[in-house]
Amino acid sequence: MLPSHFDRGVVEEYAPQIEEVLREASKGEGKALVELSAVESFDSAGMAFLIEALEQARAQEVDLRFVGVRPAVSDFFSLVGIERLLVPEQQAKGGNFVEKVGDLALPMMERLGAGKDLLVEAAHSLMDPSSGGKRAGRGRFFLELEHAGIGAIGIVSLIGFLLGLILAMQAWVQLKVFGADKYVADMVAVSITREIGPLMTAILVAARSGSSIAAQLGTMVINEEVDALRQMGINPVRYLVVPKVGALALATPCLAVLFSTIAIFGGLLFGVFVVDLGWQVYIEATSEALQAGDILGSLIKSTVFGTLVATVGCSLGLNVKGGPVGVGKATTGAVVASIFMIIVFDAVFVLLLRVGA
Amino acid sequence: MRIFKRKPRIPKELLERKSRTEDLIRGIAIETNFDGRTVLKGVDLAVTKGEVFVILGPSGCGKTTLLRHLSGMLPPTLGIVQLFGRDLYTLKGKELAELRGRMGFSFQGGALLNSMSVLENVALPLRESTDLPWEKIERIARLKLDMVGLLHAAHLSPSSLSGGMKKRAAISRAIALDPELIFFDEPSAGLDPITAVEVDNLILKLNKVFGITMVVVTHDIPSAFLIADRMIMLHEGRVLARGTPDEIREMKDSKVQDFIHRALPAEEQRSGGLARFLKT
Ligand SMILES: Nc1ncnc2c1ncn2[C@@H]1O[C@H](COP(=O)(O)OP(=O)(O)OP(=O)(O)O)[C@@H](O)[C@H]1O
Ligand SMILES: [Mg+2]
Repeated sequence: MLPSHFDRGVVEEYAPQIEEVLREASKGEGKALVELSAVESFDSAGMAFLIEALEQARAQEVDLRFVGVRPAVSDFFSLVGIERLLVPEQQAKGGNFVEKVGDLALPMMERLGAGKDLLVEAAHSLMDPSSGGKRAGRGRFFLELEHAGIGAIGIVSLIGFLLGLILAMQAWVQLKVFGADKYVADMVAVSITREIGPLMTAILVAARSGSSIAAQLGTMVINEEVDALRQMGINPVRYLVVPKVGALALATPCLAVLFSTIAIFGGLLFGVFVVDLGWQVYIEATSEALQAGDILGSLIKSTVFGTLVATVGCSLGLNVKGGPVGVGKATTGAVVASIFMIIVFDAVFVLLLRVGA
Repeated sequence: MRIFKRKPRIPKELLERKSRTEDLIRGIAIETNFDGRTVLKGVDLAVTKGEVFVILGPSGCGKTTLLRHLSGMLPPTLGIVQLFGRDLYTLKGKELAELRGRMGFSFQGGALLNSMSVLENVALPLRESTDLPWEKIERIARLKLDMVGLLHAAHLSPSSLSGGMKKRAAISRAIALDPELIFFDEPSAGLDPITAVEVDNLILKLNKVFGITMVVVTHDIPSAFLIADRMIMLHEGRVLARGTPDEIREMKDSKVQDFIHRALPAEEQRSGGLARFLKT
């Protein structure tokens, strides 16, 4: 028997009663009745209470029924799709540490797989003369290049300069202990060119362009713009993906060269004005330390990183589902996945080029 | 070039039902599953040249999905779609491109590309599918914009258009290539009644003046009865009724009548509800 106004003020009082009734019913004949004839009005808390009761009843295999419902209340009932509300809750995800790492890494691998498929399709569309979108796609490459390349010059230069300074300082602090001040130049040149330049540039590109690519394509998907392109006979991969991948594959190594040059210049300023090495000494040391292989390796690495960032961004963007929330997820996902994969690929490069050789 | 990742499953007996007549579009036993959920089930339809064919149904019943199947954007899980007498989902790149050139599509939200102006949007299909010089293309695009009364907005960005203007711009893009057939997804949804009537009139005008066949998806009942030559009524993924507006109005079926008068059948409302747990 429930009261005339069954609302959030009173529901809690009845919880123990219902539990009691259900417990008895589950021991006994498995049936229970709740008398609602006195109930004139309900609120959502009252409704939630009844649904909870039904859920408990189901768990305990009790057939719970409501009796004596007034028409006004039964109308309220008819608005609620009980089946939808009674789905069993999904098991909470626990798992040990290894599983959690797996949960993190597996989607990354899937993204890599999806990215690879997209890249293959992009290459196909580029080769295939009948693929629509060539004409419209013309010129987009330069737009993308401007956006991803020219637009990033400022921030890449600034961070390059600061990192060059920092690195020179750190190196100097260590080296002067051994009286090896003049190796500051070598340290900076090699670490920047081989590792930090391509890596930092790629991360900056992922943050700037990877996210914007995913957001832009994702928005186009939910606005049906991608469908519209396809409908007009324009292959979205050719029109959207190819220019972006091409632009980043070209812009990233250029930006990496810029980054490294400015970083070395930052180190040089420190070396000349603080360590007192002299311009010529520093420049000579740098050019001696650097080998053509380092520079070539850095260029190749950056090209791969740029391609990676663009492909991951495109594939996440084009697969957006579920409206604006999906776009947000894809944007974050693009940056996180790109950076993760950049590091993984970098490790592979080091293994192949340095350890393997 | 890979166009569709998958092809619809086609049971043998369906092949015998393929159309050899002059139907512009024929859908046979179309069925769609999204992640195990059935959205469309056994939908059959035939659209004749020159008519305004309306697909009517409540929100979420699968209208857009059906339109995507018919226009070659999404292969159904099962069934056959014939367009201009060709089996749509067996076509390869070139043939498909040729078919696409003969139809236009006006999307539910307009789907104008935000990275370019309204004029460039209308010019895009022309630039892609013809070898005309830009001056000609621009002239045609302006002509098409004028037909929908949007010439004054040619150089605006789509994001600065109102809902009704977006719809008209989308229609203008859909007619850019002088198609024989246009698909409309909810042309009057989200518009005020007066603008909605304007869009309806525009559809009728294009149909009467240029003889363009129209396939219109809508949940707007007055608009559907105003523009349709023939219509089908979808309900929970199945065809509930088909015929001319007059025929449908005369139908005794209670679901049809309830739908026309914008109410859900009462017993149906009950069956899914908490009301099932009432002891009677
Ligand atoms: N790509 C998809 N993946 C999964 N489910 C989808 C997909 N597209 C549509 N659906 C689902 O299919 C159902 C029908 O969708 P559809 O867009 O065809 O409805 P509609 O009749 O056009 O509705 P509205 O009038 O609101 O536009 C919906 O429940 C929707 O969630
Ligand atoms: Mg729709």
